[in-house]
Amino acid sequence: MSAAPLARRNPTVKLALVFVVSLAVMFVLDPITAAVLYLLALGGVALGTRAPARDLVLAHVPFLAFALGVLVVNVLSRPGEVLWQAGVLRVTVEGLSVGAALAARTLVVGVLAVGFLLSTDGVALVHSLRQNARLSPRVAYAVLAGYRLLQDMPKEWAVIQHAHAVRAPWRGGRPPRGPRHLGRVVFTLLVVTVRRGERMAQALESRGLGLSPRTSWRPVRVTPADWLLAAGVLVVLAAVLAGSAALGVLRGPGALG
Amino acid sequence: MPEPTAVELRDVSVHVPRRTEPVVSGVDLQVGAGEHVLLLGASGSGKSTVLQCVTGVVPHSVNARLAGQVRVVGRSTDETSVVELARHVGVVAQDPTSAVCLPDVEQELALPLENHAVDPGTIGARIDAALGAVGATHLRARATGELSGGESQRVALAAALVTDCDVLLLDEPTSMLDPAGVGDVRRALDTAVARSGPAVVLVEHRLDDVAGERGLDGLPGRIVVLEAGRVRADGPTGAVLREHGAELLRAGCWLPLDAELHALTGATGGLEEPRNRAFLRSLADDDGGSPGPPDGEVARPGPAVLRARGLAVAHGGTPARRRRRDRDPAPVLLGDVDLELRAGEVVGLLGPNGVGKTTLLLTLAGLLPPAEGTVDGARAGMVFQNAEYQFVAHTVAEEVAHGLTGPVAETVAHALAEHRLAHLAAQDPFRLSGGEKRRLSLAAMLAHDRPCLLADEPTLGLDRRDTVAAMASLRRAADGGKAVVLSSHDLRTVATVADRVVVLAEGTVVADGPTAAVLGDRDVLRRAGLRLPPLVAWLLEHAPAAARRVLGRLDSAAAEPVPVGAAS
Amino acid sequence: MVVLGVVFGFVYWALVQAWNGLAVLMGPAGDLAQHVLFGGWLLVAPIVVAIVRRPLAGMLAEVLASVVEVVFLGSPVGPTLMIAAALQGLGSELPFLATRYRRFGWTVFAVSGLLGAGLVFFYSAFRGGWYGQDVLVLRLVLQLVSGVVLGGLLAKVVVDRLARTGVVDNFAIGREAVARA
Repeated sequence: MSAAPLARRNPTVKLALVFVVSLAVMFVLDPITAAVLYLLALGGVALGTRAPARDLVLAHVPFLAFALGVLVVNVLSRPGEVLWQAGVLRVTVEGLSVGAALAARTLVVGVLAVGFLLSTDGVALVHSLRQNARLSPRVAYAVLAGYRLLQDMPKEWAVIQHAHAVRAPWRGGRPPRGPRHLGRVVFTLLVVTVRRGERMAQALESRGLGLSPRTSWRPVRVTPADWLLAAGVLVVLAAVLAGSAALGVLRGPGALG
Repeated sequence: MPEPTAVELRDVSVHVPRRTEPVVSGVDLQVGAGEHVLLLGASGSGKSTVLQCVTGVVPHSVNARLAGQVRVVGRSTDETSVVELARHVGVVAQDPTSAVCLPDVEQELALPLENHAVDPGTIGARIDAALGAVGATHLRARATGELSGGESQRVALAAALVTDCDVLLLDEPTSMLDPAGVGDVRRALDTAVARSGPAVVLVEHRLDDVAGERGLDGLPGRIVVLEAGRVRADGPTGAVLREHGAELLRAGCWLPLDAELHALTGATGGLEEPRNRAFLRSLADDDGGSPGPPDGEVARPGPAVLRARGLAVAHGGTPARRRRRDRDPAPVLLGDVDLELRAGEVVGLLGPNGVGKTTLLLTLAGLLPPAEGTVDGARAGMVFQNAEYQFVAHTVAEEVAHGLTGPVAETVAHALAEHRLAHLAAQDPFRLSGGEKRRLSLAAMLAHDRPCLLADEPTLGLDRRDTVAAMASLRRAADGGKAVVLSSHDLRTVATVADRVVVLAEGTVVADGPTAAVLGDRDVLRRAGLRLPPLVAWLLEHAPAAARRVLGRLDSAAAEPVPVGAAS
Repeated sequence: MVVLGVVFGFVYWALVQAWNGLAVLMGPAGDLAQHVLFGGWLLVAPIVVAIVRRPLAGMLAEVLASVVEVVFLGSPVGPTLMIAAALQGLGSELPFLATRYRRFGWTVFAVSGLLGAGLVFFYSAFRGGWYGQDVLVLRLVLQLVSGVVLGGLLAKVVVDRLARTGVVDNFAIGREAVARA
């Protein structure tokens, strides 16, 4: 991960950029602008993370399915100029256009999220937020403690599942799977984790978390390269939006009608 | 100007909302700078609460009322917040899984230094020094998720000492660890404390482990004994143990062997002392009259209840996952296991940490599919290392009733009575004490009356009284016709209750036979990395046929009102 | 409080997986699955508020859970989830705020679920481009019902059961239970 150019950039800056672009894209409602943004984002992510093509494609799968669903729902449920009708099902031009736009938007946000995740370590992000975004140390370290709990959760889940399966009646020779069983496992996991979390909170306090002033061992800085990245992304975004507005292609939320 | 005492409690009493009796009452305690104190007492005697008074958790973080004066390095805890007190106090808690909170060891140790506003340039060096003091330098680059229990506790100790605290508090730091971990932590504590010199208050009940081979010299120099929230004794370790040994045994503490024998015979000198040897021999020879466990060697086990043939076990996970990964099977932990569990027998399962005892038990219980081979027999019952994981209901009575068929109300009432839980029937299981939780998990499992019971480290973290009670339940279950398997690190307990011992090492079964024979085999012990406690070793050498009987009698003697054979 | 946020981050992520599954099952109407399950995502706010009883604790916990979902668990929804989470949290917290963090009965929880689901609906509708769709009203109704049931009533059940276990005794909920007794 540390070889790729994006990985070396400040995590807070990256998070802020993804946030800003996602927010901006919420106002775009024509498929062409959205598609252009997607292609640019894909290119940026591919170059910036140097991730193999296979990984990038696989990463698309979760939101590709979602985007498809969005497309279908919009195509079928938006009133307007009818393109094709078969009984109850009705496809409209507006539906296609808006649906495509929304689907493309999902792809934009998705690929940016993937780019962020592939190039950023969660722990580094928390440290960066603490130092660059003035996140309170108590919250920052508590989140890291929470991350520890998260790491162990699958293992604890498995043990609790086994423990609950022992006394429950087995149907057809197989351990129970239903929602009531799962609900109990979740509750036990919740109780055990809350207790462990409380102990961790006490441990953190006993190590002085909350004392002030405090120093930072490994400072995380915002470098000129980070500012360059931010400027570059924002400029490209503005250019695309301006360009498509100039071409008369851009549509805003008004298109939803 | 004299240095302020490190810790000072004056007439301290603590009241908690759910109990009418104060948890701690009229306690006076002074710990000087650099002094080492051992805080001892039965479960519920208020030991942890005293520590919480020192850290300020009582009264600031928990819902408790504090009366009296508590001063730490001259500062009153009433007026100082927990976090401010943390400038002077370091804590190592009981649970290794919540001892380290950050993703890697370096960050864990850097945190306290950052909090104390230490110059960043020196942090790296201080981390190295702290890790060196606890013998954990090799752990520096590790992720905390991969640490074993003993390693986690050592890192926690390093984190507590890295800021050169004035007072170090340890609340049962080794009670959840295996013997290797206990040894590591004990040694780390000795070295680290010698280097930085804080005042140390150690709460423990496994004194036999803390003392180790050094016996009484391995213990801190001063002992304070708490009983029902009051200070019962406060003085030099040797003297206090000699004077109050019998009471401490009754209260459920594991004493170092010397002290235990002294409490029973009045003679010091441990196993070297002829009077003690004579006493042990007398217990061995006395085969009639007083109640005790039947001689293990003549147990006639019943028919086989569960059979494993050519069994191989792997970590597995859920069956669905295994199906997907058929091409890439999970690594096999144990292979070629042939086991027969017979009714009426208690089998001890021993082996080094990580060899696969838990995985074997899970496979025998049918919760994990075998990697190879078969498991035949009726569905077994299992109790888990952490009793809480098994809780499904919101009251004790419902917990026992869960999954039962037939005359549920009767079965539940009977089970509650037998395990002394009737007075807790309406309580939420998570509110019980450690010993009560273990009794509940056993009661709930035994109520299902399955022919086989598998127990994964059932005595982890329990004091002696609760351990003896749990073992008695297992023994009763076996006498009632069940096959019982018990995996444990506590060799003395296994030697006391097991008819047969199976030892796992090097990926397979290396021994399977009567307790005395297997535990007496040095080669087996070496291969499995097991070390016999001196008492067990001596008994196996001098009276192997009656070892179990002697150990059982020692357990009962601990509970008797009048010590057997003590000189008055 | 942070712990709870993290735990629920995990639960929410699991819920997203369940949502994917349900969406697939529902075929072309799959997009509506999110409204049916929506209440599940509201859970942490009322639970944390009832336990900690401090202003904005619920909203913070929701935001934290969303951060955990996005950053540590890789949810593809992206960081704008944090806006949704803030709105959900705020909506959920309002009824408790209005009753000065003193009332914790079924009604307060139900209203909390309603407002949490409702407030964020308008943001999500904008973001998801639901305006102009025929099914807009259907979405709103599904979401509100799910909010009340899964996000309000279920939350109270969880809080009551947690309180019984004693594991939250040291928080405000435990202290006040004792003070009342």
